Formats: sequence, structure tokens, C-alpha cells
Amino acid sequence: MIGKVLVANRGEVALRVIRACRELGVRSVAVYSTADRDSLHHELADESVCIGPPPAASSYLNVPAIISAAELTGADAVHPGYGFLAENARFAEICERVGLAFVGPASGTIARMGDKAEAREAAAEAGVPVTPGSDGPCESVEAVKRVGAEVGYPLVIKASAGGGGKGMRVVEEEAGVEAAYLGASREAGANFGDGSVYVEKYLERLRHVEVQVLADSHGETVTFPERDCSVQRRYQKLIEESPAPALPEDVRKGLMAASADLVGSLGYEGAGTVEFVYAEGEFYFIEMNTRLQVEHPVTEMVSGIDIVAEQLKVVSGERLEVPEEALSPDGHAIEFRINAEDPRRNFLPQAGLVEVYNPPGGPGVRVDSHLYAGYRVPPHYDSLLAKLIVHARDREASMRRGLRALDEFAVSGMETTLPLHLAVLEDEEFRRGGVTTRFLADRELESEGGRLRLVQHVS
Amino acid sequence: MDENRPLPLGEVEQLVELLRESGIGEIRVRQGETEISVKARPEIPAMPPAHQIMGTQGVSEVVESEPSPEMDGLHAVRSPVVGTFYRAPAPGEEAYVEVGDAVSAGQTLCIVEAMKLMNEIVADVSGEVVEVLAENAGGVEYDQPLFYLRPDAR
Repeated sequence: MIGKVLVANRGEVALRVIRACRELGVRSVAVYSTADRDSLHHELADESVCIGPPPAASSYLNVPAIISAAELTGADAVHPGYGFLAENARFAEICERVGLAFVGPASGTIARMGDKAEAREAAAEAGVPVTPGSDGPCESVEAVKRVGAEVGYPLVIKASAGGGGKGMRVVEEEAGVEAAYLGASREAGANFGDGSVYVEKYLERLRHVEVQVLADSHGETVTFPERDCSVQRRYQKLIEESPAPALPEDVRKGLMAASADLVGSLGYEGAGTVEFVYAEGEFYFIEMNTRLQVEHPVTEMVSGIDIVAEQLKVVSGERLEVPEEALSPDGHAIEFRINAEDPRRNFLPQAGLVEVYNPPGGPGVRVDSHLYAGYRVPPHYDSLLAKLIVHARDREASMRRGLRALDEFAVSGMETTLPLHLAVLEDEEFRRGGVTTRFLADRELESEGGRLRLVQHVS
Repeated sequence: MDENRPLPLGEVEQLVELLRESGIGEIRVRQGETEISVKARPEIPAMPPAHQIMGTQGVSEVVESEPSPEMDGLHAVRSPVVGTFYRAPAPGEEAYVEVGDAVSAGQTLCIVEAMKLMNEIVADVSGEVVEVLAENAGGVEYDQPLFYLRPDAR
């Protein structure tokens, strides 16, 4: 096992990695910005190094400072968490060059999967179904029109280097292609420094399902039962669950087999997630995330596997320790992302002093969070405050447990997404299961006696 | 070395152990055609240990620290980067400054090496060097005070 891991991140995920290190007897090094002097990751790690001022570009994205911190502390591996440098192929390559083990796949694999058009090609080559659309990037308006004539409208134009909905346009008919193509390309260029785009058939009513994978350097790959992450707002996931409700068994097996095929064809090492859309009984590959994901705990709850610990074993050259029975889900788990955003005011980001913090407890409840009463949420980073994960024998029981735990969860000092989650759990369609990614967009939030309620648009 | 013979990892391990215990810089052994050399890494400074979490009630108490030298009219020169602190331009050479020296704004006080780049750290005020706060060849973090200067009266 590696001896010392530098955790190149902050917030709950930094704590998550430090906790895994402590349980494995691996020493941990936290890095932090001057805005995070009072943060728990800095307190709980064995050592810590201040790497820069508050802006992420000068601290958590500051590669020379992070590499220097690793050298000074004698760390032999770097865990990037998620976000920041987690899918930065250049950073992974620098780690490789200076002899630091990067907790993740090889830099070449990150680069390949980071280019969405190239990832689509890799999936198609591995025999994984991809949404009908262009082979690789589309270099002209005419190329987009040719795809449209072939697969039919509506189409969606996406940035090759993209994600999070940036550089993305939906085109309803051929007349709209030119404006959408130029707009998407310009936005992609501005956001990612790469204006190349590709085209897919636009599927309107779809579910987002994904498969957690782990692979070691001895050629073993495991794929876990899927997660459903369809409850999203502006392409940001809010609720994730495993297994996906009401998913036919052959689809589940198909998803797991397709993910194993893709991962096998890449010579992948470490943890990753293969993302799919599922619509009208068919699933299609959308992208692969070459890192730990925010929602990994739902898989941990239904499998009993510590995914971060397995990542550390893989990077140490050891074999995965995932018994066969871990791959059939034990009960049902749901994760709620508690963000510092005000759902009553168009999800306005919040910052400031946490006055009261009292997380729920009891059976089947897990909270991953960096909060404590008296902590000041800095305005510089993302809004995730806590992840509440509930686990019970079936979906119905885990929803009841979710309601109970959300109701117990006390955070004061700022508005959070807690009341939104309660409203989702009271929505009939969500309770039935299998909602599409339009779920939140199709509803208005109504404030009623201090609680929130979701009201579906009349269509 | 015969490529078909397994690497003598056991012996290397013993040598590393010996090196660590002895505190010497390098050990070289030769047996037949096999030569093993193990070298100690340059001394890695201990970083200040992380604090224990205070209290159980969660509300962090404001611990009244000793009056900061900055309140005493002293000016701290802080490290702008994470790196290794060197008081002299090269090993064996004289330190840029000593306690008691008068320095002028813009004068080099030390070097902080980060990723093989030598960053010269200069005084941002003119004054007298009162204290050197970091250890030569030790690690420093971003914003860590390196020197206290007593600024000249205006």
C-alpha cells in the first residue's frame, strides 16, 4: 500500500478521502487555500499545506503549488477528488512525470474520455450503443444538416470538450441549424478553448442512468448495479438512487455489460462512471467520467464496498477486493445533495456563517459533510454543503427514511435545498419512480406555510 | 546484471532500513556484478501538525493568541508560494541577510524554490531584519511568515 496521499481538493470529498486513508493506515496531506483555514479537511489530515489565496485558479487549480506541497511532504500519491483537477489530463501527466501516483486512470485515458466526440467513438468501437448522430466532430453547418437528414429532428449540438450544458443547443428543424451550430461552437470556444462540436439525435423524455466501474492493474473489472440520476436542475444532479426504479432486468444487465466492454477496451485503471441515457426501452452511451463521483455513496450503501479505499488499493498495484455478492444490490439507497442555494429565490447561492448544524442520525442514515456549527461557508467554491444518503430494504422504505432524515436535518444561517428534497419526496410521480430529467423543469415551486410543494405545469 | 535473475529487493529493503537508522547519506554495496546504491532524500522538514478539533459543541472558540508581533510595529514578509526556503543564493554561500541587517525595499531576502524555480523574495518595505522565522532548506507554505522587519520610521 502507498504510504502517503496528498488530497488535492476541499470540502466533503477531501474529508471522504482522508477518512478512507485513516481507515487504511495511509497518511494524508491536506492542501487548502487561505479561505479554508478553518476547514475540517485541514484539521483532520495528518499534515496540511496552505497552497494559495482564495480563488481556485490560484489554489486548488494551482498545479505547481500542489506538486510542491507533495514534494515537501513526501507524498507518494495524489487523490484529486472530483471537480478541480480530477479530469485534467495535463495534471495527471505532470504527476506521472514527477513520480507521483495519480489516483485515477492514465493521463491518456483521461484525455481521450475528456473529449466527448472521441469518447463517443471509443464507445461505438467497443460495441456500446451510442445515440444516433455524427461520427466524431461536425465541422460545418452542412455536416450537421446531413446528420439531421439521416437521423431526424430534433437534434442536439454539443461541445466536444464540454459538459454541464455549456456549448449545447437543441435544434427543432433544419432551418435552425445554422444559428444553433454557430452559437454552440462560439460558446464552446469561449468556455473550453475548443470550439469543436458534435451532433446527436435529441431525446426529450429520458432518464439518466450510470454505471460505477472499478478496474485494477491485474485486468480485473467490476461493474456495479446502476444509479439513476434523473432528478436534475439545469444539468446539475440533485437526487441519485440505486438501483434505478422499475428498470427491466435485461436493461440492467445490458448497461453493466456495455460498461464492462468499454472499460475493458480502454485498459482502464481505477474508479470511473459510464453515463447513459435511457429512453423508450433503449439505452445509449453519453460520456464517461474518469474519476470518483459525488454520488458514489449510493453505490457504497447497496454494495457494502468502500470505493475510495478500492481506488487506493488499485493505485498501490493491489487487487480489487469486491466479492461477487456486492454486485447485486442490497436494498435501495437514495442520496440528496444539500446545497447552499435558496430554492425560493431561483437557487441563489448562499454563503456565510453556519449557526446551527445538526445532521440526522439513526439506522440507515449517512451524512458526508464538511460543516460544523460556527463554520463560515466561503463564497469562492461550489455550493455543496452535505450529502444525505439513506439506505433501507426497498425504495418505499428508503423514501420514508429520507423524509424522516430530511426533516431532522437542521442547518441555520443560510437557505439550503433541504425543503426542495422534502417536496420531491412528496411528489406522486417521483414516488412512483422512473421520472425523466424534465421532472423539475416541468414543475413550479410553491411556498406554503414554510414548506415547499412541487406543482406540475398544466400542459 | 543477469536479466533473468530476480531483483534483490530484500537486500534493498535491508539497506534502506540501515540507511534510515544510521542517518548517513548514501550506502553503496557491490557483489559480483550487482551493485546497489541507496541514497537518503534531502531532509524533509516536518510540517506543523494539524490541530485537534476543539471542543464538542462545535462552535469554534476564538483562542486569544499572544499579541502578534505585527501589532508591535513589526512587518511580516510572507511566502508567495509553496516551496523550499533558502537563506543563501547557493549552498555554502553567505546568507542574503542576517538579523540586525538594514534592508531596503526591493532587496532580496531569501529564495523559495518551487518546482526547480528559484523565486527571489524581496523586502516590500525598508527596515531592519528582526527575526528569521523559517528554517533554512525547510518547507514553507503559501502565506507563511518568513521574516519580521522593523520598518524604518518615515
